[in-house]
Amino acid sequence: MKPSHDRAFRALQNSMVCAASLLVPAGQRPEWRREWKAELWHVRHSLCECGALSWQAQREATSFCLGSLQDAICLRRESRQVHDPAPRISGAAGQCILRLCTLLVVCIVLARLLPGVQSERDPARFQVNPGVILIQTSSSTENLAPTISPALFRDWKSLRQRNFDEFAFYHTVRETAFVAARRGARWSVTHASSNLFSLLGLQLPFDPAPSGDASGLPAVIISHDSWRRDFAFDPDVAGRVMRIGGRAARIAGVMPFGVWRLPGQPDAWLLEPDAQLANASPRALGYLVAHLSPRGQAAMSGESISITVRASEDDDTEFYGVSFAGRLRGPWGLFWFALILSLLALPAVTSVTMGESNYSSHRPSRKRTMVRWAFLLAKFVLVAAIAYFASLDLAWWNSSNYSPLAEFAQLAWAFAICLFGFRWALADQRQRCPVCLRRVTHPAQVGLASRTFLGWNGTEMVCMGGHTLLHVPSLPTSWFSGQRWLYLDTSWEFLFADSGAW
Amino acid sequence: MAVEARLSHTAAMILQAISAGYVYGFSIMEMTGLPSGTVYPAMRRLERDDLIRSQWEKQSIADAEQRPPRKYYRLTADGKATLEASRKRYPLLERLISTEEAKSL
Repeated sequence: MKPSHDRAFRALQNSMVCAASLLVPAGQRPEWRREWKAELWHVRHSLCECGALSWQAQREATSFCLGSLQDAICLRRESRQVHDPAPRISGAAGQCILRLCTLLVVCIVLARLLPGVQSERDPARFQVNPGVILIQTSSSTENLAPTISPALFRDWKSLRQRNFDEFAFYHTVRETAFVAARRGARWSVTHASSNLFSLLGLQLPFDPAPSGDASGLPAVIISHDSWRRDFAFDPDVAGRVMRIGGRAARIAGVMPFGVWRLPGQPDAWLLEPDAQLANASPRALGYLVAHLSPRGQAAMSGESISITVRASEDDDTEFYGVSFAGRLRGPWGLFWFALILSLLALPAVTSVTMGESNYSSHRPSRKRTMVRWAFLLAKFVLVAAIAYFASLDLAWWNSSNYSPLAEFAQLAWAFAICLFGFRWALADQRQRCPVCLRRVTHPAQVGLASRTFLGWNGTEMVCMGGHTLLHVPSLPTSWFSGQRWLYLDTSWEFLFADSGAW
Repeated sequence: MAVEARLSHTAAMILQAISAGYVYGFSIMEMTGLPSGTVYPAMRRLERDDLIRSQWEKQSIADAEQRPPRKYYRLTADGKATLEASRKRYPLLERLISTEEAKSL
């Protein structure tokens, strides 16, 4: 055989030995690599006849190296059996907590990535001034439809008010907006009083009604959606002039994501003088926003106020004012409501007892009992935290604006996750050994209800640590209504593979 | 002895080979005809059970002979006792690998 072939075989055999050593557990790797290399040298040496090995000898040396791969696989398998005792890990309390923590981390990461959730989690962004209310006709307080005419706004603003010290009005119409010279788009445009945003007290990163505009053009604020859709997130959009409904307007800025929580989801807000707004078409019904005077705030009962306007002796018109504070609680308020609701509903879906009765007088130590209750509490806390973040993720993952539907979805998801999560936590706890907190396993059916009269029948399960037996009756009776624990003494321990603590 | 009852035929052959003077892995493989993937892990298990003991050759000896040092195996007292018991269980073991054969090499 040529020396070059011999070198190639030598390199192949060395690399096989190195690859085999990589399969060996790290602690034993250097020792095995050294032994295999030494043995390979002697194998080659014993097969060598005249400096280079024959094809037959190379085959034998290579088969020795293949044997080293088998050695390594065998060692790896043995090591895994030693280090991964299945009964110890299966159903362990730590594993349960780890899984819940992993799920929680996934939900938190998702919440960080979703802009809708980010916006919802920061209530300071959409909180309005205290004392600001939305006024509607009393007949339509539920669906938040526009009910106020521009003429009514003009009348209320012109009259001296006792209960209110400031008004703003807005109504929304569909208009064509030209974002470029020849590109028009149908937008939902809200025509609003120039004091609307200052009255609401929204924290905008720009001046919504700049007073120093020499051109006299009205200011328009575009929504985050419009900025993304029609301006491709152009950072220099502020200050540009665009045409809306045949009129030129200067863009004051972009409404931050999730800040607008009032009825309507416009593409833009066009700020106009009150006189111009009041002279709009009588059919352009809108919303009246008012700020209560101290006297008005005193007259407010809860989160609403009833307003009666007497036009003549026989003509009284009822209006209804609702506070924004009640509408803009943020996700925490909804979550707490869902949490309390689920705790109240929990006894309806599962038994809240822990199956504490047992056959003997033996009781686990105080420390074990405390650990058991701490484990249950940890599960409840983790389930609640998962419910908070998961409900936010599910409700707001696709919402670009505030919507009552998303709020309802958050409430429903939080309630469902809390209710069924707590139910699972209790059911899981009832199946865990009070001593080591591992789930009992190997269910064995004992007796048949149809064949035994007064004999016990049910399911028996055993703790893998050899601490307890759990008896669960198949038919609850007056003398055996719930599950019972039977504590095993230490003489049973030798029968079990892993009697160590959890 | 607890180990005695669990000793397989393969392990007994390896003990007999070491006892006969085949004191490193490759020579045991050659003598017993067992493949590499069986011999080395089996020797590790025997060493873990204190039936054999391994020792690396001194580097100076290997350097003098211009070769890598190799690992030698020898029987422990427990290993010798276990091998005696295994010979009774596997009577052909001694004839398969005789001590005289190794000494003559």
